[in-house]
Amino acid sequence: MPCEMQQRRWEHRYCNMWKSLVAAVALIAAIGSVHAASAVNKDAETRTLVVTEGGSKTDLALAGGETVEFCPNGCFVTLPNGDLEALTGSETVEISGGVARIK
Amino acid sequence: MLFRLLRLILLLTLVVSAPLSFDAAAQGLGQAPAGLVADQQKIIQALTAKTDNFEKQIQQDAEEDSSLVDIRLQLEELSRQSLTSALAFRTRLGEINSRLEQLGPAPAAGQPPEPDIVSGERQALVSEKAEINAVISQAQSLSIRISGLIDKIGNMRSELFRNVLTKRYVLSDALSPQVFSDARDEFSNFYKAVSSWLSFAFKFKFQAILAATFVALGLALVLLVGGRRLFGRVFEADPANEDPSYLSRLSVAFWSTLLPTLAVGVFLASTVFFFNYYNVLRGDIGLFLNALAAVIGVVFCVNRLTNAALEPRLPNWRLIPVETGPARWLVRLTTAMAVVIGINYFLSVINDKMGSPLSLTIARSFGATIIVGVILILMAMLRPFKARDGSWRPWPAWLRYTAFALGLFTIIAALLGYIGLALFVSLQVVVTGTVLITAYIGFLSAQAIGEEGAFANTTVGRWLSSNSSYEDTALDQLGLVVSVAINVMIVLVFLPLILLMWGFQPGDIQAWAYKLATGINIGSVTISVTGILSGIVVFIIGYFLTRWFQGWLDGSVMARGKVDTGVRNSIRLAVGYAGVALAALVGISAAGIDLSSLALVAGALSLGIGFGLQNVVSNFVSGLILLAERPFKVGDWIVAGDVSGTVKKISVRATEIETFQRQSVILPNSNLINNAVGNWTHRNKLGRIDIKVGVAYGSDVKQVHAVLLEIARGHPMVLKNPEPFVLFSNFGPAALEFEIRVFLADVMNGNIVQNDIRFAVLERFSGEHIEIPSTPRAVVEAHKPKAWPTDDDKIEADFAEQEQIKAEAEAEKKRLAKSRKTKKPDPD
Repeated sequence: MPCEMQQRRWEHRYCNMWKSLVAAVALIAAIGSVHAASAVNKDAETRTLVVTEGGSKTDLALAGGETVEFCPNGCFVTLPNGDLEALTGSETVEISGGVARIK
Repeated sequence: MLFRLLRLILLLTLVVSAPLSFDAAAQGLGQAPAGLVADQQKIIQALTAKTDNFEKQIQQDAEEDSSLVDIRLQLEELSRQSLTSALAFRTRLGEINSRLEQLGPAPAAGQPPEPDIVSGERQALVSEKAEINAVISQAQSLSIRISGLIDKIGNMRSELFRNVLTKRYVLSDALSPQVFSDARDEFSNFYKAVSSWLSFAFKFKFQAILAATFVALGLALVLLVGGRRLFGRVFEADPANEDPSYLSRLSVAFWSTLLPTLAVGVFLASTVFFFNYYNVLRGDIGLFLNALAAVIGVVFCVNRLTNAALEPRLPNWRLIPVETGPARWLVRLTTAMAVVIGINYFLSVINDKMGSPLSLTIARSFGATIIVGVILILMAMLRPFKARDGSWRPWPAWLRYTAFALGLFTIIAALLGYIGLALFVSLQVVVTGTVLITAYIGFLSAQAIGEEGAFANTTVGRWLSSNSSYEDTALDQLGLVVSVAINVMIVLVFLPLILLMWGFQPGDIQAWAYKLATGINIGSVTISVTGILSGIVVFIIGYFLTRWFQGWLDGSVMARGKVDTGVRNSIRLAVGYAGVALAALVGISAAGIDLSSLALVAGALSLGIGFGLQNVVSNFVSGLILLAERPFKVGDWIVAGDVSGTVKKISVRATEIETFQRQSVILPNSNLINNAVGNWTHRNKLGRIDIKVGVAYGSDVKQVHAVLLEIARGHPMVLKNPEPFVLFSNFGPAALEFEIRVFLADVMNGNIVQNDIRFAVLERFSGEHIEIPSTPRAVVEAHKPKAWPTDDDKIEADFAEQEQIKAEAEAEKKRLAKSRKTKKPDPD
């Protein structure tokens, strides 16, 4: 087992590992920053959002309890109560009790 | 090409910085509710007006590909702005909605009416909301319209591209003698422009030109000399080196291409810059000079690169293993190709600026494409390899035929009048070919790094081995990882590059990458590359954290706390298993695999697993019990069934025991738990050894007893307490039997003590005249075979053999004596 090294040596070794770890974490953070907006339907019945993205309107039907990722580059959304909202692509739309909230 | 790249970079930066600007704008705008609607309406109107303009412009510039691309970029920006302006309403809409919620719904027909102030406020809020919605819907329709326009531009561009490729020119017109007079006119025009500029420059700006040139030259020299000083070691190919490693060849090729190219590039760029700075340039001369500089730079770079990769003078340093003669030809042909394409580009710039007739453009492109086609065919006809028997071998068939086909295609297309197509193909051949060759060299270097021991010899490897405690094997594995990473990187970099060259849009590639990263749905399962990768990375991080924690706990805390080795071992193992299990769980959930679905599967399978893996599970549980209960620890001398030896390692499934014959026995833990295990060194190493001694009937037993006790007491390793004891154990059939029983502090020394005591007993008994009888055995008469007739030779041979055996025995004894000195013998 590599841990059965002499004290000095393993400290040195793990020190190097820490550096690589930090680099790896930074890399992951950089990769992970690709986001899309997500919509959560907390109601039991299906709710529909109308999403206008890239020149076309589509109905996004959310079954009860479903979470959907959509709109990576910004879009317009018609919420269930008829309000029109713009999204940049990093928000979460939460529907509960038929009312949508943007967080 | 350069402009396209620049545009791409611009687009990328825009895309990257876009989300930031969104947020900033949204925050700034959210604060002014009063005039908000009017403000945003104005903004959107302005955006609509701009869009109208662009729509008109699209119709006007329908033939210009570059301006279409510009318009497309600006339209994308407009679309983003419209989204931003719509974003400004979010806070206000939230406020209105929450206020409306507080006010509650309007009273129904039968209910008592509410106060006027409430209904008034509701009215106001509802109407404001309606206004806001109207503005946002304007923004929405604007963005839809812009998307439509962007699509239209895409269609127009592909139409334009198709037109370029399929347009057929009548060559008889273009290649008539008229062309020569046109060319002469054009050349004289160009000559006039240049010479008038030159005379102007020499008259009025001579000093400036000199200064600019010298400064540029100085900069380039500094770079070149400094670079040689810094990288001289890796820069020069050493002709004396018989077999340089692939990596050193690669680094020589890289640096000997990069540094001179950089120096020339700096020289050209700074010349143009200083000429601009001193206002030496005039009219179109600046454009010509730019084009010339670009052409010289590219030709130089291509020449350096091929020279470095093929090294016609130094066969040992060649990156691509072709023979010397063909290598020289390849360098010439590639340079010629670069020159032709460069001249074509330069002439096209001149044609553009001079407004020359179409026929000239066609003739120029025709010439260039035919030459490129011929060069391609020549390259295909080269026989670059030598077989074992000395005959020349051509390129691999697929490469040869592809090059033939491309060359022939270019020539035939040009001859038929499809100049646009021919030019496109020849340009693609050059550019894509360069990209592919670079990628190929990259693959080769990845392979070279992945080879055994190669990574340790690189600069990074040497630095690592001197600055860290990585072993050679670890470095080798690291080299393998690096080579895999380089391969992946090459695919990631060059695939999009080639796709871009072939006219795919960055947006498409981005969308593919996004889809690949976020997940592909197969049934109800989503497989996402980033998910799996992040899961693996999380697991690796967890694993190393566990290892680090284990090492720290064991090495720093428990060692300092003087914790017993057995306990240390148990705790370390337990911590290790718990940590790895935890890391695996976290990794699985980070990979996006739902643990609850796993639980379902586990529940269904647990019965089957319970039967099938009964033994493994029972061993596993036994191992946990061993760790907790610690009936023995590493280093103990145990006896389990037939196996007796030292415990080397306790793991969760089995325990490794080393017998005294140095045989490793892997004993399943359940055996150790279910059966009796003897441990000689459980609480302490104290142990008793018995030595049997027989004396002849008639001896003085009292004296014998006294002598034996004295011997036992006299030995330094024998404990005083418990006292040594001599047992008169039996009146045996041939002797009076005694037993010496002594206790030792370390039972591992048993053999030494037994030996010493037996020797001492014999010595004392012969001194005291006490006899040790040996049991008489029956004597069996054997029929001896007849002796061989006396043969001097045979006697001599036998004698020599005996001498040799004796000598060998002596040597063996000496050797044993030497090796024995350091070690004590094993107990049985």
